[in-house]
Amino acid sequence: MAESQFAIRVRDLRKLYGGKPAVDGLSLEVPRGCFFGFLGPNGAGKTTTIRMLIGLAPPDSGSIELLGLASPDHAMEIKRRIGLVPDESLLFDRLTGGEFLEFVGRMYGLERRVARERAGELLALFELDGERGKLIAEYSKGMRKRASMAAALIHRPDLLLLDEPFEGVDAVGARLMKELLQTLVREGVTIFLTSHVLEVVERLCDRVAIIHQGRLVLEGIVEELRHGDETLEDLFVRAVGAERTLERLEWL
Amino acid sequence: MPSQMQAILWAEWRSLMHFRPREGAAGAALAGLMALAWYALWCLLGAAAYSFVTAASVEKLARALPRVLMFVLLYWQLSPVLTASLGASLAFEKLLVYPIPFRQLFTVETLLRLLTSFEIIILLAGVSLGLARNPAVPAWAAVSAVAMYGASNLLLSAGLRQALERVLARKRLREILLLVLVLSAAVPQVLFVTGIPGWMERLWAAPPLEWWPWTVTAKLALGARWPLGWLIAAGWLALAWWFGRWQFARSLRFDARAQSSGAYTPRLRKAWVDHLFRWPALVLPDPMAAAIEKELRSLVRTPRFRLVFLMGFTFGPLIWMPISFGREQAGSVVVSNYLTFVSAYALVLLGDVTFWNALGPDRSAAQFYYLLPAPFSRILAAKNLTALVVVLVEVTVVMLACLALRMPLVAGKIVEAYAVTLTLSVYLMAMGNLSSVYYPTAVYAERSGSPGSPARFRALLFLLYPVAATPIALAYLARYAFSSGIAFYLVLAMAASLGAIVYAVAMDSATEAASRRREQILAALGEGGGAVDAWGGG
Repeated sequence: MAESQFAIRVRDLRKLYGGKPAVDGLSLEVPRGCFFGFLGPNGAGKTTTIRMLIGLAPPDSGSIELLGLASPDHAMEIKRRIGLVPDESLLFDRLTGGEFLEFVGRMYGLERRVARERAGELLALFELDGERGKLIAEYSKGMRKRASMAAALIHRPDLLLLDEPFEGVDAVGARLMKELLQTLVREGVTIFLTSHVLEVVERLCDRVAIIHQGRLVLEGIVEELRHGDETLEDLFVRAVGAERTLERLEWL
Repeated sequence: MPSQMQAILWAEWRSLMHFRPREGAAGAALAGLMALAWYALWCLLGAAAYSFVTAASVEKLARALPRVLMFVLLYWQLSPVLTASLGASLAFEKLLVYPIPFRQLFTVETLLRLLTSFEIIILLAGVSLGLARNPAVPAWAAVSAVAMYGASNLLLSAGLRQALERVLARKRLREILLLVLVLSAAVPQVLFVTGIPGWMERLWAAPPLEWWPWTVTAKLALGARWPLGWLIAAGWLALAWWFGRWQFARSLRFDARAQSSGAYTPRLRKAWVDHLFRWPALVLPDPMAAAIEKELRSLVRTPRFRLVFLMGFTFGPLIWMPISFGREQAGSVVVSNYLTFVSAYALVLLGDVTFWNALGPDRSAAQFYYLLPAPFSRILAAKNLTALVVVLVEVTVVMLACLALRMPLVAGKIVEAYAVTLTLSVYLMAMGNLSSVYYPTAVYAERSGSPGSPARFRALLFLLYPVAATPIALAYLARYAFSSGIAFYLVLAMAASLGAIVYAVAMDSATEAASRRREQILAALGEGGGAVDAWGGG
């Protein structure tokens, strides 16, 4: 069977929370080997989309295909091939960073020895090895994100879903993560990234999609979407219709 | 054992190894002792069952065994439901992102059910061993039949847990169900006093139906040559396995967020309710008024609070009624102080959500209190004042409930109920302020079944309640000794004054500890979990 050219393909995806649509008829195609930016204001439906992609929230309607495999029919195979950095922590607080990475590696089916070796290497890469005995509960926010990123990479996935991966990470750590992600894309890994830091998205992503109130409002190659010397921030504000003048508060 | 299952168990083992009790050695030791006493009691019961079954004749066993096995089934399946303590379970949110085969997840989840009602397994083991040692019973048949029965129960409990958890994910349904379950816990009390109805006695005395799992198991265990019986037992086991798997699969597909997200509330109703929360500003200055308003809003929106508040004036009167007005109880101390007893009981229930772990519901947002340009004592005082208001409202509702039930209430007893409950509140809040800063733990408001105070601290409460009640007991002693209401109120006034001093001293100590232990407090309030969710319901 020929491999699908799309890493992510969703059709008419819909999810309701309390009768209100969080994602409303979303259709999206992300080519393989693409660094894809998925943007939107707070509450636009980005995290819900990612939760549906990884199978944590079943959609009310629509279809999902990841790496050419239909979800949820091929859920196991899909999970084996994706890595996730969630917005909320999936870390186990009472494990050390090394123990957690080893655990994740074994959950992905790696041999214990291999999982332990890779855990050590990832700890060193993400500069968490100085804190070997430290429990994750004692990690700072940036350290937790770095540990999440390391966990998402331990099984060498073909598709990475990253929900606000740079949140709380210091400049050095963020730079390391960005370089690593760019290297992975060059090697054929697809990255699906949500971030509110538009400068980062502008610099890293080939394509972007903007979602607003659960609906896709814009999608395409960044360069083609921009008008003149418009920045991604201008484009984003225009797309979600949030242009407004700052009203000065007298007391402020 | 498959590697992913090994990894889950290994991760949980490592988590346990890293666990350090926040409540200190004393709290942990007391909790350990209580657990030891509880299981020792069941071991005794298991040993008694063993010695009875070993020596009993087949005729005797044929009468007793089906009933014992039925009790085992009812206890195993209903006790987690009635106590709303669903036990440890896999943290699906954290594990579902990994490619773990369904079979492995189901096996681990089912094995975790062994821990939920471990005491009944002790009893079943006693019965099983006794049967195996009984010379009149073939050992292989006894052990095989009881093992099949145990496995059926295990799988059934796994399925029931999943079904119940999904029901509990629906906000309103969860609260109603929990209240019904709690109220049903009072049924044995009522039956004990009023007597068992005739239909129930007839049902109990009637010969058990042939095909029930406990009847089949009992017959097979006693060595009946009954091939169809083995088929029926295997059928029950297969049915339990299918039910467990079916419910587990449904839970894996279940989106709790979608179920718990609230429906649209009309603006008009919100505006009307909003006025109810604004009264503190009419009588108190800010920031105290703002803090009380915030506490009231938070409490009313907390399912656990709504549950215990409802329990205070429904379950409370119900559970005390048989004790007070049952057979041979007329004229007792409980009858003459019925309203006071029910009110104090309501106060105990409310304590779990209002003062024993006052910072818990705020979780990591508690750090805000450290940023405020107001002393920490002001925050604790605001929380205590809110609790006091809630207690007053509860006592009033309890009184109205008693009047509705046509209880013999006189004005003097109503005043006494308020006076005693408020005095007791002062002592409990003094202790609560200390426990809130020494034993803080994050509370998840959406879990109606989970207690608000940390597990190990709850063991200490058995010591604290009698201590707090001692000054009030002295007032009752004075009334008894001098046969005088004046003596009662004089001693109660002294108890209240002493309570005020204790409260002030405890507040100073709690404020100092809150400042000194701020890092530990914030760390404890911000802590999360592991591969297996902590014990608790809902």
